Parts: sequence; structure tokens; C-alpha cells
Amino acid sequence: MKSYSLVLICLLIFGSSIGVCQNKLNVLTTLNYLRYVTQQVGGEKVEVSALANPKQDPHYVTPTPRMNQAANGIDLFIESGLGLDSWAKNVIDASGNPKIQPGNPGHLVATINVPVKELPTEVSRAWGDIHPQGNPHVWLDPLNMKIVAENIAERLSKLDGTNSAYYQQQLESFKHRIDVALFGDELLNTIGKKAGDILSRKAKNGDLQSWLKSKKLDTKLNGWFKKAERLNGTKVMSYHKTYVYFSERFGLNIVGELEEKPGIPPPPKHRDAVVEQIKRDNIKVILNDNFYSTEAADYIASKTQAKVFLTYIDVGAAPEVDTYEKLINYLLDKLLTTN
Amino acid sequence: MKLKLFFIVVLLIIGTTQLLFSQTDVEAQLQQLRNEITQLRSQLDSLKNQTTSESFGESDVERLEERLDERIQELEKKIDAGSRASSSTILNPRTTAFINLAARYDNKSVLDYEGVAEISNRPYLRSLELDFRQAVDPYADAVAIIAIEDEAGTGYAVEPEEVYGVIKRLPLLESAPLGLKVKMGQFRAPFGVSNKIHMHDLPWTTRPLIVSKYLGTEHGDFFESGFNPVGVDFDFFLPNFLTDVTKEVNFSIVRGEEFGLPSDISTDKTLGYVGHLNISKDWDNEHLLNLGLSFYGEGNFLSNKGITEADDKSLLGIDFTYKWAPAENRESKSLVLGGEFMQGSQLLTDSVKGITRNNPFGWYGYVQYQTSSWLYLGARYDWLEEPTLEKPVTQSFAAYASYYTSEYFRLRLGYEQRWSDIEQVNALGSLLFEVNFVFGSHPTEPYWVNR
Repeated sequence: MKSYSLVLICLLIFGSSIGVCQNKLNVLTTLNYLRYVTQQVGGEKVEVSALANPKQDPHYVTPTPRMNQAANGIDLFIESGLGLDSWAKNVIDASGNPKIQPGNPGHLVATINVPVKELPTEVSRAWGDIHPQGNPHVWLDPLNMKIVAENIAERLSKLDGTNSAYYQQQLESFKHRIDVALFGDELLNTIGKKAGDILSRKAKNGDLQSWLKSKKLDTKLNGWFKKAERLNGTKVMSYHKTYVYFSERFGLNIVGELEEKPGIPPPPKHRDAVVEQIKRDNIKVILNDNFYSTEAADYIASKTQAKVFLTYIDVGAAPEVDTYEKLINYLLDKLLTTN
Repeated sequence: MKLKLFFIVVLLIIGTTQLLFSQTDVEAQLQQLRNEITQLRSQLDSLKNQTTSESFGESDVERLEERLDERIQELEKKIDAGSRASSSTILNPRTTAFINLAARYDNKSVLDYEGVAEISNRPYLRSLELDFRQAVDPYADAVAIIAIEDEAGTGYAVEPEEVYGVIKRLPLLESAPLGLKVKMGQFRAPFGVSNKIHMHDLPWTTRPLIVSKYLGTEHGDFFESGFNPVGVDFDFFLPNFLTDVTKEVNFSIVRGEEFGLPSDISTDKTLGYVGHLNISKDWDNEHLLNLGLSFYGEGNFLSNKGITEADDKSLLGIDFTYKWAPAENRESKSLVLGGEFMQGSQLLTDSVKGITRNNPFGWYGYVQYQTSSWLYLGARYDWLEEPTLEKPVTQSFAAYASYYTSEYFRLRLGYEQRWSDIEQVNALGSLLFEVNFVFGSHPTEPYWVNR
């Protein structure tokens, strides 16, 4: 009897300490874009997985016992924040992991320091499922993704100081890849030192094009910004306020949403109003996130000349968007087919 | 009663006032930062006009421009952080209120379980629940759910529905072994599934008969019932190294006097023990299967008597739930199947045989299908042996349609038919209507299935 008890205790201790024995930092993220960027920054020093199915609406993920237990033995829990993945709180509470409780180094809200848009002046449920802290779809702007990566690198360094230099190197490498994708190699090489920082600042302030012209560098621009030049001012309708950051960065003109109020499916009267608007403004595209029903969009498309584009917004939602760079390329290419 | 209400009102007023003052301070600071940004931007614009150099970041003007740019972006970060901190939950408990209204129209007179008040053919404000929750410190959270409940039409009572603290990190330990969480206070006991859910979150207007009859009866299945004792609960995971199935255990030591299953043997025992093992597996967050095994027993291990066969009272339960919601188009399609089985053990006095052990059995099963973003259709069947020696059987079939505009507002219409060996309940047909409002600072989180 005693020996059985001993074996049982050993098994329990072994089971609960599996995570502790590994050298890698064990990281769990809510969404897959966070998993991707953590993997890029953490490299071989981290073991990272995500809770949500990337095809899923990130607002509505149902926490399950599997998720709670997955969060039990980890070193770092990363959430997107801004009320997008507020279900993470349930997982953290149920995990029984003191390290990842808010306020501890093992808990990170990845979008800290990202300039947030659409902060509501009035917070009321009468406006639908509004986000009191602003629009949370920040990662669709690659410049914000660099801030997210910085936040993650800083936290990994704090938790694993011995590999701090490694994380910093990985971060610089990731940021450089994003810069190359945004601006193109040639422009970065011409400007030289701090090119990524200078160009990112100009882009954030909205004077990248004029600055490049003043420096006679506009012909050297390439990458996503060059690609997006053809989209500048293109009028688009979207189902939800998903593309606010993406459109500002790449010059799209989102003229409205199918949802009359966020989180509330479009009522028939509003659909008819959207039909009128699409006809009036000659809008050719309706962006419908893959996880929302296309019923309303299909109805509106049937009454107008607009096409419905089913779009993915998280990394890994489909094979063609299995990296962040591919996700942004995919969205740009999809939109370019209209022009 | 009036005094309690007075205290609640005073507390709410104090809380609201504090919130207003703290928000005003933060707003003033944010406005200062915004003003500074405006000034810096105008300086930056004038500098840009002076920039003519074709080098990058080399001239004094450009370096100044760069510094101003950086300063602006730093200030924007501060504004962002300030805006996030000014959320309405700042240092105050997250507060949510639930209003549950229900009405019934019956084909015969219906009395409450105690046979005192007639409850048929009228509307009720069944409950107003005030839910306060917040972190106490880095090691503990606290939850207080105060219910103002209708006592089967005989008046209102203010009662703690659940009031507990959760310790997330044990003294002297850096980590909690097996994810142990310790809950202390009054809470809905982790026996099965339905008992843990508050009335306003149930997928039906009434509680399943086995829950109100075996676990705890206040005023029957139409009003709030179930077992919510004072005690301590230990919640932990079993190690997961053999399969990818999650195994979670709850073990609670509670005050047992309020347990629903009646017994004719009066004992000196005051402690009850609740155990629940939940075995769970999910597939890509689309399919979830839960199987549960529950146990309730009573006894005072510290007394000289311990537990003897002559005076124990117990209940065994099995529960299962299957949920499906597709990853895409999740807001408009879902399916839930579930059920619970319970068998009790009680000692009752028989006029011929004397003290007799009785083992009543009951179960319910239900299905709910979501047809659109707004509409859920469901049905439930109950089969119950009354916990008396004669064990008369009551059966019930109910069909419901629940209409949601959002997770905060729900209308529900249902019809319930009962057949019973008890004449008073037999051939009872009830039309049930329910309205539920949820308001407060809680986020857009699913309370039950998708809503």
C-alpha cells in the first residue's frame, strides 16, 4: 500500500514538474499572431503555443479546461489586450498559476505602447459591444507589430536575463524583416543607419511620401508601401471595424461597416441603407472576416456591383497566411484584384 | 431587511463618487499631454519647412526634428497608457447587475414546494443579483454576489448567493502544485453542472428537478434553488502526462445542514464533503466533451463516532456535456447536448419497517440548437423519483425558445408539461416567459454557451 502511495506521489510530482525541467521559456498566447511574433523573437529559446483557433473570432473564444490546464505550467502568458481577448482573464483565473496573474512578470499585455485609435468618448452598451480602451485590431498595421515585438522581447529578457542579447538580436532581425517588407531593401540601404526607424516615424506621422519626394527617394520605395500606392483612396466597406489600422497604414478608405453597431449583426433596415451607400459611393469591395456570416454581405452584393471578399485576419487561419508577412501580403493582394 | 438595503445603497453611492473623482484626475492629465503634443507638432511642422539637406539624420535641424518626433511618440504612449488606466474598473470592483423577470400561466393551481404560497398565473421579479469581483492583492481575488430574491411571492430577501475569496498562491510556495486554487466562503457547490450555474445563466427558465429536490430546495424549481453552502473548496488538475485529456478535481468541505436530500435521522454531523471529477477534451475549440462524476457525503471525522452506516446521507452524480460551435460563423450556430444522473441515499422512517434506507434516482437530458445569431431552440426532459419512501415519479418535458439581442438581453418563451404520481402536480401545463437583463462593467464574455 505504502509503495503504491509513493509511486503515485512520484508520478504527481513528475507530472507537475515537466515544464520546470525544460530549459526553454514556456509561453502561451491567446491569439496566433502573438504566437508567431513570440516565436520570431524568442527563437529556439522559447516553446510557444496559442489558445485560440486562428479561424475563430478573437472576441468570442470559449475557455475550456484544456486551455486552463495549458496555462498552468507556463512561464509567460501573453494577451493582446484592449478588450479583444478578455476571455483570457477566465483562463488565467482558472489556471492556478501564480506566475501569470496580472501584475506579475509572467503576464504581458502585448499592445502596451501601441497608439490606439477610436477611443470612445462615451462608453455605453447602447453603442453595441464597444471597446472602452479603443479599437483592438492593432496588429494589422505592421508598424504596430514592431512595437508588439519590442514588448515581447523586453519581457522575455526580463524573465530570462541570460539570453537577453539573443532576444535583442532576434528582435532586430524581425524588425528588419518587417522594414524590408514595408519599404523594400533598396530604400533601406540608401538611407543606411536607422533607416527603419526614420521611415517608420515618417509613415506614422503621415508624411512618408512627401519626405521621400523632398529627398528624391520616392523612386526607391518598394515593398508593401509601393504595392499599396494603387490602393490609395480605394473605398471599401467592411463587416466589422477590423481594418481601421490596416486602412490608415495603406491608404484605404473604409467608408462604413455592415454592422450598425459593433458586435450586433446588421439589422435589415441597416442593410438597405448600406446598399444605397454602396451604389452612391461606387464601392466595389465588402471585406467580410472569415468568422462572420456572409449572409448580410451576400445580400448587399446581390443588390449592388460590390464583391464580397472573405478575409483572414490571424496568422495561421489558412495555409496561405501562415506567417505575418504572408497575412499582410494576402490582404494587399486581395484588395489589389479590385483595381 | 431595510437596513441591509440601506447599506447596499450607501456602498454603491460611495463607490460611484470615488470613481468619478479618479476619472476627473486622469482626464486632466491626459488633456495636458494632448496640449503638449499639439505644441510640439507645430514646432515640428515649422522645422520641416526649414529642412533642405539631402542627407538623412545628419543636420542639426533633422536631429532636432527626430528628437521632437520621438518625444511626440513617447507622449502618445503615455496618453495610451493613461486612457487604458482610466477604465471604469480602476481600483473598484468590477460590478455587474442581473435582473431576472419571469411570468407563468398554468392550467391549474400551483403551490410552492412548502405548499404555502400559490405561485401560478402571475409575473415575478425573481431576482436582482449584484456581482462584485476584483483582485484583493497579487495573491487573492474576492467575489461577492448579493441576491435580492423573491421568496416564492411571499416577499423579498437579501441573501449572499456567493461570497468567497480565491487564494491563487499558497503561503510559502512560489507556485501552486497541480494548479491548486483554494476557494473559501459561500459558493455554489461543484456537484454536477447545473448546480454551479446561477439562475439567470441557465438555458431554461426552471432548474432541473433533481437539482432542486436532491441538492437544495428553497422554493422549488421555478425560483432559485440548489446547494450553495459555506465551506472551502480545493480545485486542482490531475497530471496530464498520459493523454491529452484534462482531468480536474474539486474537493470541498462544507456545512452540510442545507443539503436538499431529507433524512429522518437527526445526527450531530455538520460537515458535508463534495467531490467532483471532470474529464474533458476539446478539439480546436470547436467540439468540447465533458464527463463528470460527483459525490456528496456527510460525517464528522473528528467525532468519536466517525461515519457509521446508520447515519450517513449521500448523493452520487454523473454528468455529461457536449458542445459544438464552428470556428467560423460561430456567432450564429451551436449545439449543446447534456444531462445529469443522480442517485441518493437517505434514511427515512417507515411505520412498519422502522428506519429504512431509501435510494431515490433521477435524471434529466437536454438539447439546445442555435439557429441564428438571435435564436436558440431547446428542450429538456426530467425524470425524478421524489425523495420519499413511496418514491412517486414526476416527469417533465419542456421546450424553449431563447431570443438574444446581445449577451446582455434575453427573452425566453417556454412550455412545460408535467406528469406525476402526485395528484397536485399531475397534468400540469405551464407557459413560461422570462426576461433577463445584464448590465455593468463585465466584458463581452460568454456566460454559458455562446451567450
